[in-house]
Amino acid sequence: MIRFALSKGRLAAESAELLARCGVDTSVLQEDTRKLVLESADKKFGFFLVKPSDVPTYVEAGVADLGIVGKDTLLEEDKDLYEMLDLKLGECRLCLAGYPSRRDTLTNPHLRVATKYERTARRVFLERGEDIEIIPLHGSIELAPVTGLADVIFDVVQTGSTLKANGLVVLEEVFTGITARLVVNKVSLKTKSGEILPLIQRLKEVLA
Amino acid sequence: MTTRKLPAGVQDILPRECRALTNMRETLSRLFFGCGFAPVSSAALEYYDTYSQISNAVAQEKLFKMTDTDGKLLVLRPDVTLAISRIAATKLEDAHARLCYFSEKWDMESAGANKNREIFQAGVECLGEEGAFSDAQTIALAAQSLEAIGLKNFVLDVGHVGYFKGVLEELGLDEEGAERLRGFINAKDSYNAERLLRSAGASGDAVNTVLALPTLFGGSEVLARAKALTRNEEARAAIQHLERVYALLQEMGCAECVCFDLGTVKRLSYYSGIVFTGLVQEVGAAVLSGGRYDNLADDFGKHIPAVGFALGVKRALIALERQGGLAPIPPLDAVIVCEGGAEGAGYRLFQKFVEEGLRVRLASRTGEEGVQAERGCAQKLYYVTKEGVQER
Repeated sequence: MIRFALSKGRLAAESAELLARCGVDTSVLQEDTRKLVLESADKKFGFFLVKPSDVPTYVEAGVADLGIVGKDTLLEEDKDLYEMLDLKLGECRLCLAGYPSRRDTLTNPHLRVATKYERTARRVFLERGEDIEIIPLHGSIELAPVTGLADVIFDVVQTGSTLKANGLVVLEEVFTGITARLVVNKVSLKTKSGEILPLIQRLKEVLA
Repeated sequence: MTTRKLPAGVQDILPRECRALTNMRETLSRLFFGCGFAPVSSAALEYYDTYSQISNAVAQEKLFKMTDTDGKLLVLRPDVTLAISRIAATKLEDAHARLCYFSEKWDMESAGANKNREIFQAGVECLGEEGAFSDAQTIALAAQSLEAIGLKNFVLDVGHVGYFKGVLEELGLDEEGAERLRGFINAKDSYNAERLLRSAGASGDAVNTVLALPTLFGGSEVLARAKALTRNEEARAAIQHLERVYALLQEMGCAECVCFDLGTVKRLSYYSGIVFTGLVQEVGAAVLSGGRYDNLADDFGKHIPAVGFALGVKRALIALERQGGLAPIPPLDAVIVCEGGAEGAGYRLFQKFVEEGLRVRLASRTGEEGVQAERGCAQKLYYVTKEGVQER
């Protein structure tokens, strides 16, 4: 059985649709259930629906063979995985954003950065040799500059409408082309290659 | 209550697991010794400089550090192969040696899935040896080791660092670009590898070869594909070497569990030639890893070509347990209870049983009280009186 870790939420629905187009029986994902482990009727596939940031953990440990997760999460979690396909789903950018008038704060030696991508932000600013203070948050990141908690935010931006509604603008696009990726456990690829490789091939064909 | 806790990433090993570990160690010890390897053990404490001043320096954040009474910085052994290279280069008269070890190493950084900070390893090093036959023998022994401890359905995934190195040379990337490309290739991420190569303006055959790397894994047919993809001499020599090793393994009857992956290119590794990892489905990370490291001892003052591998004992144990192969501690064969005043006779019977190879316990409580307490603790219960021995 091939076990998938899928990111709960919209990405799970899109992933299911994509997998269905590759001939994977995903009907079990459409059911309204509270079960955490779902199996396809033919027992060929198992699915775990987990928090996006937990997908790399499940796949690295080999509890799941494959995972579908955003590149933003992969950057943040930095796990030892095979990242084999760009599934082109949910494209967005990882940006620094804030008030347009405070564009100069980017050179402030003690910039306060609010983010849920703590490690990625730290890495980005470390490489630039800039001292910053990271303010870890778990949601509504845009609120931080609005309330004065932080100078800027480091977050994913898809359409930019939340930023705009709060008077914020993108100050810098740090990572572009953030999309969902197919990740594979390093051992599973070799020990279950007979099942995984044809699936990857089908995904490639469907995406082409 | 910190007095009752352990720091992150280390564990006590309780009797059942410890017994399984001891068994594994005894099995491997017999195998390695029988295959002509001599055991060696390096000091657990070493100077920080030993590992920070060499060309294959261990990253500072990986080292467990302490200060000696004279103020010098000490570290807990971070790598067994490095330690054995140092011993071979500085203490052995003959650098041609086959050594084996059972040892811990400590990695301050590692934590999370399948990882501990205290890592138990069993391994071998073939020092002062070169050539395909030495590599083939080491891979065969790796397979034999996994089989001997009872693992089933394992795969030995073989690669060669020379292939990527050779192809990389053709691209003429700067150091930073090369390191980023290595990261993408190691993650089998051809999408980002292609973007990087395009933005670096790389062109020619080498680009196609690099972009094919993430797909260059599988059975021995991979070698022919890889060879056809490049004209670089180093890369082709790497493939020829793998072909030779594979042919030898076939002749030796050890090629069945072998597959190939030329896209495994780890960071800051001291490996210089063939590399291999042992994989089982039940554990999401390698249970064994090894390869050739011809230049490692140079830093310690001697050139000693060598090849070896280390088996991650705890990961192997997890795999064994998940495959259902972990035996429980066998019950005692016998327990002996003495009548008050017959302790001497009881002890002599106990010694006789031990000499016969039975697993036996001499109860500390005597008389009927002892019999009550020990009933059901062993296959047999012997009651020793001044008159003789009764089975109860």
